[in-house]
Amino acid sequence: MSTRFNLNGLPTEVQSDPSTPLLDVLRTELRLTGTKQGCDHEGECGACTVLIDNEPVQSCLTLLGAVADRHVLTIEGLKQFEKLDPLQQAFIQTGAVQCGYCTPGMLMAAKALLIREPKPNRQQIIEALDGNLCRCTGYTRIIDAVEFAAGMTPEKTPHEMTAGEDYLRMDSEGKVTGQTPYVEDIVLPDMLHMKVLRSPLHHARLDNIDTSSVSAMPGIRRVISWKDIPGINGFPEYSLEEPVLTPESDTLRMKGAPIALVIADTEDQAQAGCKAIKIKIDPLPFTFDPEEALKPGATLIAGNNNELSSFVITQGDLETSLKASKNVIDATYETAFLEHSALERESAFGFIDEKGRVTVSGATHQPHNQQRYVSEMLGIPLENVRVITPPIGGSFGGKQDPWPMMAVALGVYLLRKPIRLVYSRLESFDASPKRHPYKVHLKLGSRADGKLTGLSASILCNTGGYDSSGRYITNYAVTAIGGAYRWQAVNLLARSIYTNGPKAGQYRGFGTAQSNFALECALDEIIEKLDLDPVEFRIKNCIRPGENTFLGYPLIETLGYKEVLEQIRPYHKLFSEEAKKFNADHDPDKVRRGVGLAGMWYRFGKAGTLKIEAQAALSSEGHYIVYCSAPDYGQGTTTAMNQIAAEALGVSRNWVNVVNADTGQVPDSNIQGASRAVYFVGGAVTKAVQVLKDSIFSVAAEMLDVPGKDLELKSDRVIVTAQPNRFVSTMDIAHEFDLMGKSRRVTGIFDVSPNLGDQRPEYLPIFITGAHLADLTVDMETGMVQVVRVVAAHDVGKAVNPVDSSGQIEGAVLMGLGATLQEEYLPGLTTGFSHYHLPTIGSTPEIKTILVEVPSKYGPMGAKGLGEAAMLPTTPAIINAISRSIHERIRSIPATPEQILSAIQRRRS
Amino acid sequence: MILYMIPSSVKETLEILASYEGKARIIAGGTDLAIDLRKGRKSADVLVDITRIAQLTQVKVEGDFVEVGAAVTFSDIKKHKFLQNEFPMLTLAAASVGATGIQTRATWVGNLVNGMPAADGAIAALALEAEIKVVSLEGETWLPVENFFIRPGESKIDSTSQLATHLRFQIPQKTWGAGWQRIGRRTNLTLPILNCAVKLEFLEDLIQSAIIALGPVGSTPYRAHTAERYLINKPPTDEIIAEAGMFVQKEALPRSNPLRASREYRLEIIPIIVQRALIQARQQAIENHLK
Ligand code: FES
Ligand code: FES
Repeated sequence: MSTRFNLNGLPTEVQSDPSTPLLDVLRTELRLTGTKQGCDHEGECGACTVLIDNEPVQSCLTLLGAVADRHVLTIEGLKQFEKLDPLQQAFIQTGAVQCGYCTPGMLMAAKALLIREPKPNRQQIIEALDGNLCRCTGYTRIIDAVEFAAGMTPEKTPHEMTAGEDYLRMDSEGKVTGQTPYVEDIVLPDMLHMKVLRSPLHHARLDNIDTSSVSAMPGIRRVISWKDIPGINGFPEYSLEEPVLTPESDTLRMKGAPIALVIADTEDQAQAGCKAIKIKIDPLPFTFDPEEALKPGATLIAGNNNELSSFVITQGDLETSLKASKNVIDATYETAFLEHSALERESAFGFIDEKGRVTVSGATHQPHNQQRYVSEMLGIPLENVRVITPPIGGSFGGKQDPWPMMAVALGVYLLRKPIRLVYSRLESFDASPKRHPYKVHLKLGSRADGKLTGLSASILCNTGGYDSSGRYITNYAVTAIGGAYRWQAVNLLARSIYTNGPKAGQYRGFGTAQSNFALECALDEIIEKLDLDPVEFRIKNCIRPGENTFLGYPLIETLGYKEVLEQIRPYHKLFSEEAKKFNADHDPDKVRRGVGLAGMWYRFGKAGTLKIEAQAALSSEGHYIVYCSAPDYGQGTTTAMNQIAAEALGVSRNWVNVVNADTGQVPDSNIQGASRAVYFVGGAVTKAVQVLKDSIFSVAAEMLDVPGKDLELKSDRVIVTAQPNRFVSTMDIAHEFDLMGKSRRVTGIFDVSPNLGDQRPEYLPIFITGAHLADLTVDMETGMVQVVRVVAAHDVGKAVNPVDSSGQIEGAVLMGLGATLQEEYLPGLTTGFSHYHLPTIGSTPEIKTILVEVPSKYGPMGAKGLGEAAMLPTTPAIINAISRSIHERIRSIPATPEQILSAIQRRRS
Repeated sequence: MILYMIPSSVKETLEILASYEGKARIIAGGTDLAIDLRKGRKSADVLVDITRIAQLTQVKVEGDFVEVGAAVTFSDIKKHKFLQNEFPMLTLAAASVGATGIQTRATWVGNLVNGMPAADGAIAALALEAEIKVVSLEGETWLPVENFFIRPGESKIDSTSQLATHLRFQIPQKTWGAGWQRIGRRTNLTLPILNCAVKLEFLEDLIQSAIIALGPVGSTPYRAHTAERYLINKPPTDEIIAEAGMFVQKEALPRSNPLRASREYRLEIIPIIVQRALIQARQQAIENHLK
């Protein structure tokens, strides 16, 4: 049976089964991969939006048969006569595109709106996009983009709304046209597909795997179990005791733990193969609660009586300092498992490259580490493995999990064929790492004048069934629990505990957001009790540069916390007055308005090597190439590196090319994480291009016969400063390099160790700070919260790309809002987006971002980090606002309407 | 391969259903069916698409009745000027379904046929005392929506042999008003923790008839009869309305769902939601009266 319809203006006929979702027909039979799939065809994400007769539909829920004789418009048809649609243009210019995975669906939904309503108001825009999720942008810029495309005069001027030429992302055009190839979009004729057999139980012994009936099934190429792994079955450097594939007689410690891989010609065949594997498993008692797991006699999951790691800091005499306090807060705070929910699910693609290397292309924060894990698993030399990062549809830490690439590399090694693995959303929920739930018991004191005294904290970090780097989290938990404040004494302990929940790993802010939530809420409690000003209280207790921190060492970088709080001060005053007035006008039993403030400090840059490497080269055409490893999952590091290089060279951005995160081409710039890219990799890039510039000048000086100091680099030439007409082109210089036998590629090292003096802390004492202010209303009868406004101020050192920095903050605010009010992963229950309530465009408050610039001493152009930390203050700011509105403290998140209502009732009784 | 047929009349549709003897199934917007087919909850050899039957694509306002064809989508309802003016409750309910890209496909009648206890369309239809026209080769009959649901996911329609062609409801002649309330874990793109539609008709200053529909508080979309009876012949004062809410709380049987809300929370907010819906209805009645 064939179905005919008009597709992007052309008559089209397809042969697929008419009950196939239109989305699949577009993506597979028609190879139009611009339309995305994000939610297992459940209608829950909007990434698949296309237009049928100008109406937006979710193509995953629209059967092919239904479009017979209709007009279908997809993202590929939006650009007409080689010209971008005004919406596409606007999305690029306003910075509405980050990872780009939601962008095609978003654009189509917006297009339908503008066809129907060329001048929509804000409410209409929100309604039109209410089914389209975006995890990166916080929607603010998307709304801006639609308004901009509609040619309206919103409150913001076009100048404020759009980025100057200098700030536009380098990769947006491919994203707004649907041309950017994410892993799921790769189509190769001989590509095979991998599916994973996973544990159906939370805790069980795996007695036996029987794959005998699988190999004869149609399309099956190979079944892989633990016995097929030639080298190390695991990646212990990243995760202790986490096997790539669970060995027989070993235990499965969470639902979704991997047992076997099946490779087949199609995904469905591979899935059928997984179903046909017979496993014998023996259920074991399980728990998701770390306190249960620590009880004497509890079933052993892993580690030392279920403890994975612990970390302690003590300074001063806690008891005395608490005794000297006017007030002491003694409270317990709790957080939930969270799922990153990047719109692109986990995926990896592997093949044997032209040099015979086992090559994997996928999301990772650490290409060179990943390369090492693969080589150790396969027992082959490092140089026979290559790791590449393709365009990535968001990570937020989730895609730091090495597992998907390990699985694919194993398949490629054994079959020597191109293989792809794409998680379903269910699989992504079951098996990808989550944010660690914390239980934080805090005690802190303050004198009547608002001077902080002592702090004690006992933190349980729930690392789930596997380590997944959860052993490092205790250090982060403790570091964040004290904040940028001066304490007379501290007694801090964090323990990372195994349970049978999902493995918890990297999640935006790695273990700091949970501590910061507890600290900033407890501070607010004491501030409220003492009736002090939240802004002044924090300023008063803020540590000074050079002062010893509670961690036992001083900071080596500037700390802009005071400046951040000073920027927030006027808003705090204004919002508080407005809330007061609002409350005077409204029945206290019906609605309350409240304002909450919270700060944060975040140690960025991690540990690891103190010397970061990058390279720069002059191409034979006289262009500049930067080689570095700062994987771009959508947050814009490639663009940032390009800008940093162009600025340091003093040339136009178009002359600089960035080769990023490919172990076959770039040096190891160390792990990407902890918001370190700009400061560290950017620092190395700056060094590399400086070395390159010197090298170019030394050659040009000979060619022009003038001293190097009299020369100046202009994108395509080197001129004599005093006589601009005397110059030599960079192309000729490149040629001269070759004649001289001089390498056109040089190395730059960014070395922070000299700045450390004698200290050698395990982690670099470099912190960024920020503060958020939330203004919201609480429906006192239902517990529903509406966050109306958020002001977010962050010390970024120097905003290398202000548009991107603000975009990161807006996205972080929404992610923080989700974590605070709606999101919670319940092991065994949450199966996808229909049960995991991500913020939609309707949840977006008005967000004002303030970029505070207290220059760093050593970072490129004075820049610091930002991305992860921007999420930290949102949660405590919102919770403080709620608690102040209802006059009862909320101490666990998510603060669902249910929880808030019961707090209100608690207060009343 | 599944056959996909697009008939152009009701008669043709019924003949196709008959000739495939239970192996053919009606599809309208298909937003629920697509998921059911995928998950293997429903199956068919033939899908019979009724969205191009001209007669079923209209909203007709004739005499005292509004008649809505089975191919009318929620976005058609949302955009309909008469309904916007006279039945804002219905416009709100239509806007609550899923999200824009679902409302453009999902049909009101389909939403009822699917029989979920908190379907926004079903709750609204229940409050409007709508009827559904069920047509088979044996004949046709109008079924009141109240008797239409059997259990979660099941209505009186067998989509392999019957077709629900229309839904109709009366335009009240007296002073009347309606209200719509919905509460969920987020503002949109989510199933409700609770939804509620009400309709009040007045004679002089007294409530002459009251309908209160809500979900999910039972295995089917629910009518709160005790509270409805309580309201009759009473003035719509704040106290009376609040009392009605309490009656609903006593008779409703919501359940706990760890992914959405507990039974206790649902019970807690039932009176609030009912109360708000009734106040909305009272307000509309006042405005209708002044018109
Ligand atoms: S893929 Fe269609 S809505 Fe998610
Ligand atoms: S840009 Fe929207 S999901 Fe990444």
